[in-house]
Amino acid sequence: MRWRFILNIIGILTFFFGLTMVFPLFVGLYYQDQSVIPILKSMGITVLVGFSLYLIFRKEKAEVISQREGMAIVAVGWSAVGLFGALPFFLGDGSFTFVDAVFESVSGFTTTGASILTNIEALSKGLLFWRSFIQWLGGMGIIVLSVAILPFLGVGGMQLYKAEVPSPVPDKLKPRIRDTASVLWKVYALISLVEVVLLMVGGMDLYTALCHTFTTMPTGGFSTKNASIAHFNSIYFDCIFIFFMLMAGINFSLHYQLLRGKPLAFWRDSEFRFFLGTVAFLVLVVSFNIYGSIYDSLGQAFRYGAFQVVSIITTTGYATADYEQWPAMSQLILLLCMFIGASAGSTGGGIKCLRVMLCFKFCYKQLFSLIHPHAVSHVKIGGKVVSDDVMQSILGFLALYIGLFTLSSVILAGMGVDFTTSFAAVAACIGNIGPGFGMVGPVDNFAQIPHLGKWLLVWCMLLGRLEIFTIIILVVPEFWRK
Amino acid sequence: MRIVIVGAGEVGFHVANHLTLENKDVVVIDKNPDAIRRLSDNLDVQVVNGSGSSPVVLEEAGIQNAEIILAVTDSDETNLVACLVANMISPTTKKLARIRDADYDKYHDMFSSHAPHIDTIINPEIEVVKTIDRLMSVPGAVDIGEFADGRIEFVGVYLEKNAQLAGIRLSELPAKTGKARPLIAAVVREEELIIPRGNDRLLAGDLVYFISEEDKLLETLSVFGKHDQPVNRVLIVGGGRIGFRLASLLEEKSIQTKIIERNPDRCTVLAESLNKAVVLCGDGSDQSLLAEENIRDIDVVVTLTDNEETNILASLLATRMGARKSITKISKFSYFPLMTAIGIEQVVSPRLSAINTILHHIRKGKVLSAISLKGEQAEVIEAIALETSDIVGKPLKNISFPKGALVAGIIRKEDIIIPTGDSVIEPDDRIIIFAIKQAVPKIEKILSVKLEYF
Repeated sequence: MRWRFILNIIGILTFFFGLTMVFPLFVGLYYQDQSVIPILKSMGITVLVGFSLYLIFRKEKAEVISQREGMAIVAVGWSAVGLFGALPFFLGDGSFTFVDAVFESVSGFTTTGASILTNIEALSKGLLFWRSFIQWLGGMGIIVLSVAILPFLGVGGMQLYKAEVPSPVPDKLKPRIRDTASVLWKVYALISLVEVVLLMVGGMDLYTALCHTFTTMPTGGFSTKNASIAHFNSIYFDCIFIFFMLMAGINFSLHYQLLRGKPLAFWRDSEFRFFLGTVAFLVLVVSFNIYGSIYDSLGQAFRYGAFQVVSIITTTGYATADYEQWPAMSQLILLLCMFIGASAGSTGGGIKCLRVMLCFKFCYKQLFSLIHPHAVSHVKIGGKVVSDDVMQSILGFLALYIGLFTLSSVILAGMGVDFTTSFAAVAACIGNIGPGFGMVGPVDNFAQIPHLGKWLLVWCMLLGRLEIFTIIILVVPEFWRK
Repeated sequence: MRIVIVGAGEVGFHVANHLTLENKDVVVIDKNPDAIRRLSDNLDVQVVNGSGSSPVVLEEAGIQNAEIILAVTDSDETNLVACLVANMISPTTKKLARIRDADYDKYHDMFSSHAPHIDTIINPEIEVVKTIDRLMSVPGAVDIGEFADGRIEFVGVYLEKNAQLAGIRLSELPAKTGKARPLIAAVVREEELIIPRGNDRLLAGDLVYFISEEDKLLETLSVFGKHDQPVNRVLIVGGGRIGFRLASLLEEKSIQTKIIERNPDRCTVLAESLNKAVVLCGDGSDQSLLAEENIRDIDVVVTLTDNEETNILASLLATRMGARKSITKISKFSYFPLMTAIGIEQVVSPRLSAINTILHHIRKGKVLSAISLKGEQAEVIEAIALETSDIVGKPLKNISFPKGALVAGIIRKEDIIIPTGDSVIEPDDRIIIFAIKQAVPKIEKILSVKLEYF
């Protein structure tokens, strides 16, 4: 581990990250609100710190980055970005405590969308824009963005990319990692553009459309309104959001194939079919479950059922209804959705459909070999055999995910948080969803969680966003041994 | 530029490594998931797991848009089929295949004029035998290559401790030796490649690379204190394909040859095919066998078994028991830097030969040959200066040459010119350039034709 070298890279990342603060600065200047000074200060600090780190360690050059160093850079980089991203909130009018600012910032970057704000609309427009913008940056990944635009990350970029986008079955769209990263960002930006246009067609102003697009496409879930999407109360907007949440929850390499004129790629992809099938099935079950008991018309039940299910399973976390009033079955289905999550290679979180699907197949294979002890069978996906290594890492991931979820909920409950809230808050944070149940339900927020609990949830959000391994490896003693 | 490589073995790996450093889009196909993982973990390439001879896999690898396909798996048949399939799907793609079986030797031309239309067939074994032959005939050389159809050789020699050139500045060389200054192009000192300037000194222990006309080579070598010693007796350890080829060549040259092979069946085959060479059945690292065969009188021991550790040990043992020098076949590149330390100076590698040939064919512009130096830190490129390229018609000092690159020689018709800052390259000159790895893409750009002239 060459720490000086790692810090050098972190310095460069921080520097460029600081520069992105000009966007909220422009917004602040345009609306002439009180966010200008804190953003300017934060930008100065971030750029300066980044630049000095770069200067101090500029002599450390390396042609290749080891896997371990890649993980360290990504983990430290994300923590650094989370901290510096908190500065505009913290340096504002003093309404944010330090932990609140960090919570809000990390919740943004990890595209969780959990907020400690009780009155969102009271925040200045510049800061609200920043809050949405960091979700957009974090959605496709800041490291992926850096790999795409910073040429010197060339070869080492791959180790970083793998640490940030740990897909169970890796696929590279282009021979070179830089091209892959930039293609992903282009697709991401293009779909975002379409959403902005469609929202504006529906009558939303540019600012609100941008802020909401920035939180739909990364499956983030921050809204500029207190009542989230319910504020608009429009079927058109609900449909647009449902559509784009689904788009964001699909593997982006499929979008890329579509843009290259291969729409059939969608149907050939078994994860896509599984994802869509699961969504459709759960939407139907929930709609019928809430029809009659909550909503009088089937249309209403379908509208709200579909929105909530899609919002949770893609791990976005928008809300148009208070699902805590719904029957227990619907609530439990939504809880289940938190764990399933979106597709691998999407901007969504959770365990990911691919892993869930492979686990089902693996279980079936186990049962099958009990019946036919001599049968030779493999877990296959799309006709291709999934190697034992991949299967093992998926099972390991699953065990860690459930283990860390349980452990964190127990710790949170130990801080005096009630039963439902503890596990729902942890599930919502580790799955990067946002709203949970109990004290942190869709109409509540995370302000009531104790201080230490917020730090715990910050850690959970990072765990979830970087898919466990990259973060958890930092606490393994072996990682630090020379 | 997209290049599809079939086969992620040592050759595939290193060619891919070279090409990614030159910013080319590389896709590598292999059946073995472990080999694939090694590549995707270490290099910025796209990988496809599957058989390289399958049309489905080749399409997945984007053969339609590929400029070049390289078939370098261990199996000749796979390589041929891969080229055949590529030819059907994408006839415009340039095809290079590694074919090693000697039976194909006479049919190389047919493969390019008939169905698979393979543009270049690479047989590293032929190259290696050539290299061994040259190493044997050039005293003291540890690395050797040729340019301008063999008229010019580039040679690497170690500067001995008591060599008269040790500690001398390059600019003082002519005065000291009284002869024309040898064209010293590069020096490897403590694993680092240096492109020396007039003020740099040569030190004992340096590996010095220089360029010389073929007929003046022995003279130049004597400047370095290396004198000609005729080779009369050769012992080959390992009677595989390379061993057999070498033995046949040595037979033609009437050099006394002994060949040790472990496998009795293979010995029978060798004995049937070879006329004068003595075929010995036994172990190359067996002391008593070596002593029995008068190892003390052997001029050169060439170790060519499939096991590199055996080769290293057999070479060390043979030189210790009195053989004058040894040439060792090594395939694992990670061993190269160790060789000097354990006292093995002359190394050949079929893989390095294959890589050199492949790189030569991939280069743009009018590049005639390209040779990787040991450990792949640098390349020597021979090219024709095109009228339209950037380097023609102005003094060298005015050309913005990338750092780490040097024009080591200019060949104008029959003359070889040692360039100075004022030398001007004329159109159709052949130029020899030494360049460290990082400078190669820029050199390539300088050499290639500027489009606006068309």
